[in-house]
Amino acid sequence: MTSWRTPVGVLLTALMLFPVYWMINVSLTPMSDMRKSPSLFPVNPTTEGYARVLREQIPYLGTSLLVAAGTVVLTLALAAPAAYSLAKLRPAGRQTLSFVLLVAQMIPGIIMALGFYGIYVKLGITNTVWGLVLADSTIAVPFATLILTSFMASVPDEVLQAARIDGAGPWRSFVSIVLPASRNGMITAALFSFLWAWSDFLFAATLDSGGRLQPLTLGIYRYIGNNNQEWNSIMATAVVASVPATVLIVVAQRYVAAGVTSGAVKD
Amino acid sequence: MRSRLAGWAFLLPLVAYLAVCYAYPLFTNVDLSIRGYTVRSFVHGGAPLVGFANYATVFGDPTFRTALVNTVLFTLVSLFFQYTIGLAAALFFARGFRLSATLRALFLVPWLLPLIVSASTWAWLLNSESGLVNTALKVVGLDPVNWLTSPQWSLVSVTIANIWIGIPFNLVVLYSGLQNIPREVYEASSLDGASGWQTFWHVTFPLLRPVSAITLLLGLVYTLKVFDVIWIMTKGGPSGSSTTLATWSYELGFGNMLPRFGPSAAVGNVLILIAVVAGLLYIRMQRRQELS
Amino acid sequence: MFPARKPTRLLAAFGLVAFVAACSSTPSTTATPDTFSVWDPYPQFAAESEWAKTIDKCGTEAGVKIQRQAYDTTDLTSKVLLAAQQGTAPHVLVLDNPVVSTLAEAGVLKTNQDVGLDASQVSPNLAAAGALNGQNYGTPIGANTLALYYNKAVLTAAGVDPAAVKDWDSLNAALAKVKAAGKKGITFSAIGTEEGTFQFLPWFWGANGSLTDLPSGKAALELWKSWLDNGYAPNSVVGNTQTTSWQEFATGEYAFAENGTWQLANAKKAGFEYGVIPIPGRTGGTAPAPTGGEFVTVPAQNNPDTEKKAGRIASCLTAPDKVLASDTALTYISAVPSVQQQQVAANPELAVWVEAVKNAKGRTGDNLGTKYPKISQPLWGAVQAALTGAKAPEAALRDAQASAK
Repeated sequence: MTSWRTPVGVLLTALMLFPVYWMINVSLTPMSDMRKSPSLFPVNPTTEGYARVLREQIPYLGTSLLVAAGTVVLTLALAAPAAYSLAKLRPAGRQTLSFVLLVAQMIPGIIMALGFYGIYVKLGITNTVWGLVLADSTIAVPFATLILTSFMASVPDEVLQAARIDGAGPWRSFVSIVLPASRNGMITAALFSFLWAWSDFLFAATLDSGGRLQPLTLGIYRYIGNNNQEWNSIMATAVVASVPATVLIVVAQRYVAAGVTSGAVKD
Repeated sequence: MRSRLAGWAFLLPLVAYLAVCYAYPLFTNVDLSIRGYTVRSFVHGGAPLVGFANYATVFGDPTFRTALVNTVLFTLVSLFFQYTIGLAAALFFARGFRLSATLRALFLVPWLLPLIVSASTWAWLLNSESGLVNTALKVVGLDPVNWLTSPQWSLVSVTIANIWIGIPFNLVVLYSGLQNIPREVYEASSLDGASGWQTFWHVTFPLLRPVSAITLLLGLVYTLKVFDVIWIMTKGGPSGSSTTLATWSYELGFGNMLPRFGPSAAVGNVLILIAVVAGLLYIRMQRRQELS
Repeated sequence: MFPARKPTRLLAAFGLVAFVAACSSTPSTTATPDTFSVWDPYPQFAAESEWAKTIDKCGTEAGVKIQRQAYDTTDLTSKVLLAAQQGTAPHVLVLDNPVVSTLAEAGVLKTNQDVGLDASQVSPNLAAAGALNGQNYGTPIGANTLALYYNKAVLTAAGVDPAAVKDWDSLNAALAKVKAAGKKGITFSAIGTEEGTFQFLPWFWGANGSLTDLPSGKAALELWKSWLDNGYAPNSVVGNTQTTSWQEFATGEYAFAENGTWQLANAKKAGFEYGVIPIPGRTGGTAPAPTGGEFVTVPAQNNPDTEKKAGRIASCLTAPDKVLASDTALTYISAVPSVQQQQVAANPELAVWVEAVKNAKGRTGDNLGTKYPKISQPLWGAVQAALTGAKAPEAALRDAQASAK
C-alpha cells in the first residue's frame, strides 16, 4: 500500500531540492566556466572553493551556531510563558496582544535594524553576540508566541483544574503540566527560530559587522567584493553551512511528528 | 483575581520585550515618514515636520501604482501556490512511509540557505544566456525566454522563486495540522463509503480551516515583506516591472546614493497598514467562529 | 503561593534591566582614542591582505592601533550616515567618489585644509569629485575606469583588426563580422543600479551627451538598443552586473567586453589571449569614461586633534611617495601622474589604462555635485526601459530628464 509512496516521495524531494543541487554544482565549477552553457554535472570539478571555505570560514560557522542557539533559548523563554498565559490564564486584553504580535511582524526588517542600531550604539553593545541574539529573536518571538498559544490551548482544562485542586499554582502547572504536554510545539518554535537566526543577514550586517565574532552570512560577504564575486566560494560556503543545520533538522524532525497548531484544530 | 494577576505576570516579559524592541523602531518609522529629512538633517537632526507630504509624494509617484499592483499579484499568486503545494505535500507525507520523516526534513533545506544564495541560484537557473531553464527549453525545441530581463516575465520569475522558498513553511505547519485530526474521523468517513476526494473535501479540509487560516495569515505577512529575493534577482527591474512596495521602500531608502528616508518610511507604513487590515479581518473571522 | 513568586521576581529583574538600559547613555568622550577605526568598501581583502597591512603600517606611523571594517560598497553609505547620526562615524573613511560630495554637503566630512590632507599632486580630473564650494574633501586613493577588453582569438577568426576600431561605425562593422563568424559580439552591464549608469556613460559622453540634458545623448542609447536588436549583445546585459558581464566574457565566446581596470588580474586567469582598447567616441577619438575608485576622507569627530591624527593616517595612505603601496594592493591606477609613470615602467601593460584614466571624467563634475544621484537613477531607468523595448530611446531619455528635474 505505501510502497509507491517512497519512490514518489524521493522524486518529489529531488525536484524540490534541484536548486540546492544546482548550488552544489556551481560550487564545484571553476570561475572560467561559470557562464558557459550549463552542464548537469560539474565537468571540470574544482575544490578550490571548498579549500578556501574550510580555511577561512570555520570560526564564522561557530558564531552562527552560537547565535542561533542563543536565539532559540531567548525566544522560548519569552514566548512559552506568554503563550501559556494567552492560552490558559486568558487575561483581559489578550486579543489586543495577539493583534500587536501580528502587526509587529510586519515592521520591515531594515527599519528594525535602524532602530536597534541607534539603541545599540547608545548602549555600546554593537558587535556583540548577545546583541545580535536579541535582535534576531525579534523575527521569531511573535511567531513562536502565536504558535505555542494554539499548542497549549489543546492541553485539556480538566487536567489543569485537577492540578489546581491538588494545590499547584500557575507556575507549577506551567512547568510540570503544560510545558511537557506541548513539547512538540516547543520544538517546532525552536526549529523556526533557529532557522531564522541562522539565515539572518540584515541584523548581522547592521549590528555585528565589526565584531570579532561574526556569523556565516557575513562570512559569505568576503567573496562578494566591490567589483568581483567568487561564486564557487560563495556556494561552497552555503553548502558547508547547511550541513550541520541539516543534520540538526533531520534529528529534530523526529520530535515534530504531531502538530504545530494542534490546539487550533480542537478549539 | 489572583489568576488574572498571574496571567499578566506571565505576559509581562513579552510585553516589556515588545515595548523595548518594537516600539522604538515603529516610532522611528512613523517619525521618518512625517518629516522632511535630507541627508544633512538625518545626520544632524532638525528635520522639519511636513505632515503627509511624503505620503503625497509616494501616492503621486507613477511607481506607486505599479508597485501596488505587483505586490498584490506577487502576494496572492505566491500564497495560492505555496498553500496548495504545501497542502498537497502535507497530505502526501501524512501517511507515514519508509523514509517519510527524512524526506520531510529535507524539504526544509531551502530554508537553511542564506537568501542571497538561494535567490542567486534561481537567478542563475533563469539566466537568459547561460541558464539551465533556457537550455532545457532549447532542447525540447522552444524559444528561450528572457525570464529576468523582460518586463513581461520578471515578476513571474521572482514569484516562482518565492513560491519555492515558501513551500517548506506551509508543509510543516499544515502537516502538523493534519497530524492532529483524530484518526477516528477518517475511519467513520470511510465506513460511510466516502471516496478519498470526498473525505478530503468534506472532512479534512473543514477540520484544517483554523490551521489554514493562521498559515495563510502568517504567509501573507511574510510575503508582503519579501524584498531580498526580488532585490537579488532583478533589483525590481527591468525598469520597475518587478518592483513591489517592499523593494520600492528599500530602493528609496537604501538602493541609491542619495537616500530618501521620508518616502521610504511612508511606503513601509503603507505595508504595515495592509497587514493591520489583514490582521483585523482574521480576528473578526476568529470571533465569528468562536461564536458559532 | 510560593512558586508563583518566582516569575514575578524574574519580571521585576527584567523590567529593571530594560529600564536601566533605556536610561543609561554613554558619556560623550572627546578624548583622542588609541584605536582608530578605518572603514572601506573592500570586503574581498581579508585581515592578512596587503591592503590591510598597508593600513596597519600607516596606523603605526601615526602611533595608533587600527580597527578596520569592510562593507559592501552599496551598504557603506547608509552605514556611515547611521554612524554619523549616532556620533560614531569612523575616523578614516574610504568612500566611492560620487558619494563624497553628498556626504560633504551633509557635514559628515572634514575639509582637507582642516585635517592637513593634500590633494594638490592629484590629476585635476580625478580630484574634482571631492570638490564642493571651493573646498576639497579627501584624496583619491587611486583610480579605475572602463575600456574594451577583446578576445584575440575570436577577433582573428572573424578577421577583425582591433586597431581598426576607431569609432562607432568601425565597432559596428567589427561586431557584424564577429556575428557572421558565429561568435558573440559584446557584453556589458546595463543593470538598474549605479553600475548600469557607470557603464553607459562612456557611450553617452562619446555621443557628446550632457548629464544636464539627457536626450542629447540619445545616439548612445540607440547604439546599445541596436546591439540587442541585431544580436551583437546578449539580452542578459539588462540584468548583468559588471561581474556577471565579465563571467560571460570569460567563457571565451565573446569578442568584446566593456569592463574595468580591476579585471586585469582575472583576465590573466581567463585562459585566452586578450587585449585592451579605449572605448571609441561616436565619430572617433577616445570617449571620456567615468572615473571610478575611492577617496580617503576624514569624517568629523568633534575633536580637532583626533581629526588631525586621522588626517595623518589618510595622508599616509594617499601621499605621492606612499600611494604606490596602496594602489599595488588594490590593483588601481594611481591618481598622481608621477606615480602613474612608475606603474607603467614596472608594468607596460598598464599604459592603456593610464591613458584611459587621463581621459576620464568625474561623474559629479560639470558642477553637478550632489545633483548627480538625482540624474543617475532616472538615467539607468531609461537605459533599461529602452533596452527592454518598453520605450523608444529618445522618449525614455526625455521622460528621465523630466523626472530628474
